[in-house]
Amino acid sequence: MKTRIALMAAVAALATATLTPDAHAQDASVKVEFELGRSTGSVMLVLFASEADYNTNRPVRNAVIPADATTVSVTFEGLEPGSYAIKSFHDINGNGDMDTNPFGMPIEPYAFSNNALGNMGPASWSEARFTVEGDTVQTLILR
Amino acid sequence: MIPSRRSFLLGAAALGSTVVTPDVAEAARLISAQEAVTSDWGLVTRDVERDLAPHRLTRIHGRAPAGLEGALYRNGPAKFRRPGGSAEHWFDGDGLIRRFGVADGQATLSARFADTPKRRQEAEMDAMVVPGFGSPGDPRARIGSNDDANAANTSVLRVGDDLWALWEGGSPMAMDPDTLETRGFVTLRDDLKSMPFLAHPRVERDGRIWNLGMNGTQAIVWRLAADGALEDARVVRLPRASYVHDFTATARHLVIVLQPWVQVRQTMPFSSGFEWQAGTGTRVLVLDKDDLAVRREFELPDFGFFHLGEAWEEADGTIRFDVCATDDMRFAAAGASKILNGVPVGGEPARLALAALRPDGSAQLERTAFIAEFPRSDPRRAGLARRYSLHTSGEHADRPFASAVGLYDWSTGRDAQYDFGPDQVVEEMVVVPKPGRSGETDAWLVGPTINLREQATELHVLDMARLADGPVASWRSHTAVPAGFHGIWAG
Ligand SMILES: [Fe+2]
Repeated sequence: MKTRIALMAAVAALATATLTPDAHAQDASVKVEFELGRSTGSVMLVLFASEADYNTNRPVRNAVIPADATTVSVTFEGLEPGSYAIKSFHDINGNGDMDTNPFGMPIEPYAFSNNALGNMGPASWSEARFTVEGDTVQTLILR
Repeated sequence: MIPSRRSFLLGAAALGSTVVTPDVAEAARLISAQEAVTSDWGLVTRDVERDLAPHRLTRIHGRAPAGLEGALYRNGPAKFRRPGGSAEHWFDGDGLIRRFGVADGQATLSARFADTPKRRQEAEMDAMVVPGFGSPGDPRARIGSNDDANAANTSVLRVGDDLWALWEGGSPMAMDPDTLETRGFVTLRDDLKSMPFLAHPRVERDGRIWNLGMNGTQAIVWRLAADGALEDARVVRLPRASYVHDFTATARHLVIVLQPWVQVRQTMPFSSGFEWQAGTGTRVLVLDKDDLAVRREFELPDFGFFHLGEAWEEADGTIRFDVCATDDMRFAAAGASKILNGVPVGGEPARLALAALRPDGSAQLERTAFIAEFPRSDPRRAGLARRYSLHTSGEHADRPFASAVGLYDWSTGRDAQYDFGPDQVVEEMVVVPKPGRSGETDAWLVGPTINLREQATELHVLDMARLADGPVASWRSHTAVPAGFHGIWAG
């Protein structure tokens, strides 16, 4: 069987994402921790604030974290309380892309918030959605 | 049962007029009709609930030949059903790796499941949820890569210090060859993680391993050293997206047979994306091992298949290989689902044939009348000219599994057979060369049967030169392990 994972969208999102000024800075935050299998390259992640944005890859925040340890983290401050979801991958070789094998399957670890796994495709918003309220923590496994 | 007069008669009956007088044959037929087990095929695809600890088998016939020391490793699905949902196809059960050891005249058996992400997920949910060859899967399945659906259930390969459990849609799963403990998926190179590796690698006489991995009209060609080190891997284009379960090779060529069962859409279950395109022929792509860009194409009449024999090249450049050919792939699409539900297929079993690819670009398929599956041959002649094809036999419309083993002689057109009788299910047998001998039939044949009457798995050794005489040694377990697909001998 040939399972195809359409994760390239997440990469596209990273490529086009820009840091958005916090127009309506609020008190809520999310600390995103990553457990890595290797400490090379970087972790790339994008944060979405709605289902529509999640499906069309319009992130509210993004980050590139040097993967200099097997546990790394980033904190997004000043978020409006509400529902969010994350797409992330470990760019092990640091080339800025989520690399695939010759048949198009991802060869670098990826994760959605809640560590949600899709069914032969990206995890859905409903699987990846989590609530940010006060100081929230998401621990994602990238290995 | 094996040494009994009855099984001797049944075996003799299969030989037809060569050695059997009509009255003996008739007696055998009557006994067979009276005692035939009424399709208790459930045992063949039963669920095994836990690993099978190493245990001594009971010797029931003959004695182990001196010089036969080693292990027969086999793989096959052995867990299909869980309370929350079941696999719908024989090919989609969890791989149980079996080790039949033969040493000091004694035989042992142990078996362990490959500890795959699929099996872990399904055990946790107590439901078979992962899609596969013939199972649509369940929306609850969590699948992040093809290896999350890897059943590791089709064949085995001995590589370095590992035993690999193979499944055609994903990575090899490394196991400990002694304890059968799962070591983990094999990534041959970082950028080739999760690339498929067919369950039918071809091993050259010096141990070099060739294999394919399929993706529609693309195939990755793997070349590994005997110790499993990756020597080369490259993607080649194919003229069509045929179902490829097996390929073959001469000493100098890869031979990729593209049947008219063609993938027309990506869907689950995997096999439902294929369409039988009658009248479009079976195309054969031949690549030079030394330069995969050098390719030739041949066309044969329509046939379907799972399994090919080893290929060879003759002095005039003709390439030949044997194939267990069917008229279509009905079995693949539907039959093996019915088997899982205990219903005979009702289709035509595969028959042995020999393909010839000529230097002038023409090609022919010479069909025999002999029912045949699981073709094997002398590993000392891998990629070289040979005379014999070993195969299983005895399937018919009401009997989906083999009862006999046969040895077809391409020089005489005769098929020596030994029939274990209607209450035995015969699995693939492997050719084990006798130490220090070189003749093509200087070998033992080693393989299991499931004795439906005794509800027990048996292990048999036959002398290849006297196959029709039946086993020279047989042992029996206290339990029945469901039928496996493919095995190897490790001396
Ligand atoms: Fe096979």
